[in-house]
Amino acid sequence: MPRTKTRTDEPGGKMRNPYLPQPAKITLYRRESSDCFLIRLALKSHYDPGQFFQVTLPGIGEAPISVASCSDDHLDLNIREVGNVTKALADLKKGDSLYVRGPCGKGYPMDRFFGKNLVLIGGGSGVAPLKGILAYVDKHRNDFGDVMIYFGFRTPEDILFKDDMKQWKKNYLLNLSVDKNPKKASISCDVCFITNLLDKAKLNPENKIVFICGPPMMMKITIDILKSKGFKEDQMYISTERLMNCALGVCGHCMIHGKYTCLDGPVFRYDEISKYKND
Amino acid sequence: MLKINKSSFNDFLSDVMRYNELVAPVMTDESRFETIKDVSAIHLDLHTYFPVKHFFFKKRQTLMSFDKGKVSVPELQPEKKQRVMLGLKRCDLNSIKRQDLMFMKETEDPYYTEERERTVLIGYHCKEPFDEYCFCSSMDLGDYYDLMLYEKEDAYLVEIGSEKGRSFVDRYRKYFWDTDLFLTPEDRRMETDLKLEKRDIAAYYNSPDWKKGVDICFSCAACVTLCPSCYCFDLYDEIDSKLSKVERKRNWASCQLTCFTKVAGGHVFRDSREDRFKHRIYHQLQYFREKHGMNLCTGCGRCIRGCPTRINFVNILNDMKD
Repeated sequence: MPRTKTRTDEPGGKMRNPYLPQPAKITLYRRESSDCFLIRLALKSHYDPGQFFQVTLPGIGEAPISVASCSDDHLDLNIREVGNVTKALADLKKGDSLYVRGPCGKGYPMDRFFGKNLVLIGGGSGVAPLKGILAYVDKHRNDFGDVMIYFGFRTPEDILFKDDMKQWKKNYLLNLSVDKNPKKASISCDVCFITNLLDKAKLNPENKIVFICGPPMMMKITIDILKSKGFKEDQMYISTERLMNCALGVCGHCMIHGKYTCLDGPVFRYDEISKYKND
Repeated sequence: MLKINKSSFNDFLSDVMRYNELVAPVMTDESRFETIKDVSAIHLDLHTYFPVKHFFFKKRQTLMSFDKGKVSVPELQPEKKQRVMLGLKRCDLNSIKRQDLMFMKETEDPYYTEERERTVLIGYHCKEPFDEYCFCSSMDLGDYYDLMLYEKEDAYLVEIGSEKGRSFVDRYRKYFWDTDLFLTPEDRRMETDLKLEKRDIAAYYNSPDWKKGVDICFSCAACVTLCPSCYCFDLYDEIDSKLSKVERKRNWASCQLTCFTKVAGGHVFRDSREDRFKHRIYHQLQYFREKHGMNLCTGCGRCIRGCPTRINFVNILNDMKD
């Protein structure tokens, strides 16, 4: 038998294997809407809001999921069932294990915004990374000024984080809308696109930083509205979606012109990528 | 200066083969680098149709396996033979430099590094361009080799480019002779007929002339498969027939296919052929240079030679009006 050794057994860990994920246990599973659910993982890791983890379900694959929490001992992931991996993840339950790799990418540089007023604009599952920002602000409330929230969902059933919404309504300036209300549910929010609310809002750019995350069209309209209100591109932070495989800045799938979304993003200050068309 | 006499070159190679895996250009159904069994099959001056990257960055590589809740990584084999790669052209060597950058500097990829570290790179200087598709002399290629051979009279003059090269020479010292011969600028010269004339292509992104290439592109991905520098890949899981063991694999990928940017839900970010076509060229000639100070493209011409419609992006770019 030839002498062999596994890479992981190398003395002193000669080379770290950047592809290897670590196991993590699900400590909470909560259904948020018909196609979204939240899982909490017990994980000792330091991450920033806006960063993401590569989540593995062996045999199905790996998917990038943005963080929706701010803690050193757990990690919340809000997952929308839209691809193979996320649909399979939906069948897990509390106590199950999966694998994660991360944190990956650049998040929101929150410590640069101390003293600023924050405007969070999110659509659908794009609210998840913004929830991470709110968790950060909760911990550092005195470091920030006003926090204005504009969250939009398709229908009342699609509204995510309903318990958190109550808290946010108490602590911040929360504006909530649903695109439509087909079942005529009794709700206390507007029935319109979130961009309509934003358009009508009296919002001046002074001392403000804006965070935008949502479907591409919603982000585009939002940016146009903000510009018409005098906001500059370097006041806006957007979170971008791309196909990601390696999350190490090599595999190439997530390139936006010369930038790797997984390394240079997924959070970009808008002026960094505004000149690129959406390819 | 050191030299190896042509008369003893095959003896030298046979000696090398006793303890090393020797890889060199051969002509089978097509020209390619292969592990050599018979030194007479070697065509030292052949500019191969297929690139050499698959020796390091494998077409398909198992990265890890998941078995009953355990993750394991394929075993390293420290006693694996040293590999000697002979007859690499300057374009090949420079492509290896670019892949080294991505897999050993930008990331520390243990799979690539293992293969790369056991390999000695011995280059061969082309005196003439292989064909009309070579354009390396316009690509600012650098020196990147362990040893470099220059054919001169009845010998190969040897340049040593690294410690690895030096210790290789020491091991086979009896074949290397000191010589008064030296390399003239003419010996080192390499001039291709085709030249990329534009240094900075950023301003041409919206040029209508891209149509000349885009309109006859099948998005077949031959160009990136044959490119010695292209390093993009997919990761995916494969389950065995008993549904118990899972392997995570890495495959070469191509930016020319729509699936390359398709996200869950079905949206494709580079849906148009023009966007994909230009992405390849701009990655090769702009994005990579902005980040690493050198073009990804090394001018080997394989993407043109292997293209079913011979799309010559060099000429297309050269003809673009300011």
